[in-house]
Amino acid sequence: MESRFVADDAGTWYVEQDLAFRLNEYDTYAVEQAILIKEQLGPDVEITVLSIGPDRVVEALKRALAMGCDRAVHVQDAEVHLKDPWQIAGLIAACAQPGSFDLILTGMQSQDRGSSQVGPLVAELLGYRCATTVVALDYADGIITAKRELEGGERAIVRFSTPAVITCQSGLNTPRYPTLPNIMKAKKKELLAIPVGDLPAAQPLCVTTSLHPPAVRTGGLVLEGDSADLAAQLVSILKEKTTALQ
Amino acid sequence: MYALAAAALGCCLWGFYRRVRVYRRGKPLDRRDHIPRRLWMALRDTLSQARVLRVLGPGLFHSVFFWAFLLLLLGTLLVFIQADFTDPLFEARFLKGDFYLGFSLVLDLAGLVALLGLLGLLVRRFVLRPTGLETIAADYVAHALLVSILLTGFLVEGVRMAATEIPTDPGLALFSPIGDLVGRAFTGLDPGRLASVHEALWWVHLVLGLGFIAVIPSTKLRHLVTTPAKYFFADLSPKGTLATIDLEDDSVEQFGAATVADLTWKDVFDADACTRCKRCQERCPAWVTEKPLSPMRLVLDIGEVAFGDSKVNLPDKIGEDAVWSCTTCRACEEICPARVEHVTKIVELRRDLTLMQGAFPGEEVRLAVENTEVNGNPFGASPASRADWAAGCVSPPSRNGSPPDILYFVGCYASFDHRSQDVAKSFVRICHAAGVDVGILGNTERCCGEPLRKLGNEYVYRMLAQENIEAIIASGATRIVTTCPHCFNTLARDYRQLGLDLPVEHAATFVDRLVRERRVALQPSSFDVTYHDSCYLGRYMDIFDEPRAALTASGGRMVEMRLTGKDSFCCGAGGGRILADERLGTRISSRRVEMAAATGATLLASSCPFCLAMLEDAIKTTGLEENLRVRDVTEIVAERLEAASPTDGIGDGHEDPCVRETGSGHGVPVRRG
Repeated sequence: MESRFVADDAGTWYVEQDLAFRLNEYDTYAVEQAILIKEQLGPDVEITVLSIGPDRVVEALKRALAMGCDRAVHVQDAEVHLKDPWQIAGLIAACAQPGSFDLILTGMQSQDRGSSQVGPLVAELLGYRCATTVVALDYADGIITAKRELEGGERAIVRFSTPAVITCQSGLNTPRYPTLPNIMKAKKKELLAIPVGDLPAAQPLCVTTSLHPPAVRTGGLVLEGDSADLAAQLVSILKEKTTALQ
Repeated sequence: MYALAAAALGCCLWGFYRRVRVYRRGKPLDRRDHIPRRLWMALRDTLSQARVLRVLGPGLFHSVFFWAFLLLLLGTLLVFIQADFTDPLFEARFLKGDFYLGFSLVLDLAGLVALLGLLGLLVRRFVLRPTGLETIAADYVAHALLVSILLTGFLVEGVRMAATEIPTDPGLALFSPIGDLVGRAFTGLDPGRLASVHEALWWVHLVLGLGFIAVIPSTKLRHLVTTPAKYFFADLSPKGTLATIDLEDDSVEQFGAATVADLTWKDVFDADACTRCKRCQERCPAWVTEKPLSPMRLVLDIGEVAFGDSKVNLPDKIGEDAVWSCTTCRACEEICPARVEHVTKIVELRRDLTLMQGAFPGEEVRLAVENTEVNGNPFGASPASRADWAAGCVSPPSRNGSPPDILYFVGCYASFDHRSQDVAKSFVRICHAAGVDVGILGNTERCCGEPLRKLGNEYVYRMLAQENIEAIIASGATRIVTTCPHCFNTLARDYRQLGLDLPVEHAATFVDRLVRERRVALQPSSFDVTYHDSCYLGRYMDIFDEPRAALTASGGRMVEMRLTGKDSFCCGAGGGRILADERLGTRISSRRVEMAAATGATLLASSCPFCLAMLEDAIKTTGLEENLRVRDVTEIVAERLEAASPTDGIGDGHEDPCVRETGSGHGVPVRRG
């Protein structure tokens, strides 16, 4: 999404007015994967979708319900943007008491803060196994076989049993577009609202001190001459001043 | 004889009864309002053959045959009435004297004309065999019956005359010239032989005639009944009206048409009334660019399913690619002599694909639709930047406190697409030159929802429409002008279904009026120009003359393309295809710019941002950049505004907005930046 971000008065987040919000892309893979597992295992599987944030996240929860989740939990927190991943993970873990869920799926990262830490921290707090950046997943008899995306295009296949936390990377699946009957059914599904104050609060481990757009770089370099000469110049600049050709 | 006639008639009625039962597999739909108007339409269009004559060649043969055949039918009826009712019951004979002479001559010539018309149709179908014209077994039966009925008719007449008029009253025989000619071949036979030959031929003619009546329902001949009925049951709502969906009723299990039972009886009836004339097919921009959609095939497929296994899934039978290929350009409906409604069927099929299966014609379309849901525009641009284009234009004459003269519903393309922003600016310049105060909704304007609605996504369309209607009402606007024909159709017709009741106009007519009323002064400069009729301005709204008048007033000399006006050829962007990549067949827009280039004009004018984008792109890909430029009519007019006009100064450094945002309390010019 193309947007104009402006730092807020505190200089630690951006002004949210005039911005459009949607379900975090990586979370859509998590929602889809949960529904695929439910479709595989049958109607006994129950999917709860959880979001922490201001009232607008209800729209995202409704979208997840329309896709096929069974119930939603909205942890109401108008100041969620001030919380660090540790605090977010703590809130999720408080809602997902050990034993109440076999599998927790999250996005690989959020599209705003992008810490990639919440999933692993939830696993740690609950004492669950964890696989991150999952691009393929197979579930059979409590055993999960997951393909993980590693650095440099490598893939790793890991196998583990539930309970577990999975963080979902793009490529895992193609999230479905909600059908109209499901959108209508979703209006009747349970949507539990929990004020964030009702959950145990943790102290932040890291604090955002400043949020600002990158400094504007000064003008680029325009090379001139014939094309063979230009290529040579470009290669030497890339070699000397960048790591692109090393 | 009476028993035979009753049997034939019974066979005909039974055949139609069985077909009507199949029509009833569709959902109810009320087409029985305005009966007198409907009767008039049916009578007018049937007798005038106006819709058949839209294609002159075969249309003329058909019409001539129809009129002649109608006369013969009426004549036969008159004979029947006299011979079987008035004469035996009341001894009243009206076929006598001068009237009989005229009657005789007219029927005799009608027989000849019918034969010639039929011959023309026969030669076309069986000898010339135009591509796309499918001939099935029943067509042979129908044609053979018609030919033999006409021929035996002349034989019966000739043999009768050989025994009567020719020897006894040659003057009378002259009033049946063809019968006279035929009869002379039999004058050698003795009167007894003539009588028995006449009787035998009379029976053959009768049996053929009754056979004709009997097979009407089961052959193409049923169009004798179904086509006038189609005229009677025609859609009287404004062109392009789509049925709305009740989004509150959560007992509905199926949206759109997955099977025949999800369509209306009229859709099944349409399919049965199709005469396979292939006029729609050869005008379909998808078909002529080798895409898998034939509007005729689609309609026939629906019929095949309805009369066969009606549980069959329609999108599967027809093919998803075919369903997605339609640009909703309406060329098919415009030309259909039987007034088949193709587009509504296609939208119903798309509603099933979209609303029930979450399907899209491509991933790029899914992205655009999701962008529209979130950002209110298919580009995914920030909604907050929607009115950025308006910054830097000069300020209008300030009339603080009153709502602007017009609310300009800008649309996504003119708001975000750099090329189309020039159209928005040109339009505003013309308005200001005329002293018209322009307001916009600014950040509260959303996509009008047209492409999504045509893709079948009634749900998101309704959300967008609701938001726009609320914003329009809150703005205090009293009239709306759009530069986009898609916005125009949606606001003027579709939003009316949802309660918006304001006058809505397209810039082409608005600007033309400003020019005609001399509210703007133009300095015309002469140029050759060809005009591309946007489907949604032309065929849908019948606006053909105004944009041309504006071009002429600007100094343009119109050079028309091969396909123009009502026959205009789509740019390929309608029906939500603006959001889709054209992967199948060749490019529709390329076909269109080739037609434009063939006129020799160097300027191609349009009145639609979708057309502008498609045609401009096609000019690049077909290498016609040297020969042809595309410009919107408003741009061409704005360029010729007299320099003295008080607001001529786009980009001259002024930072006042050129238009007022009326979304949040009208009347206060809003400064952006």
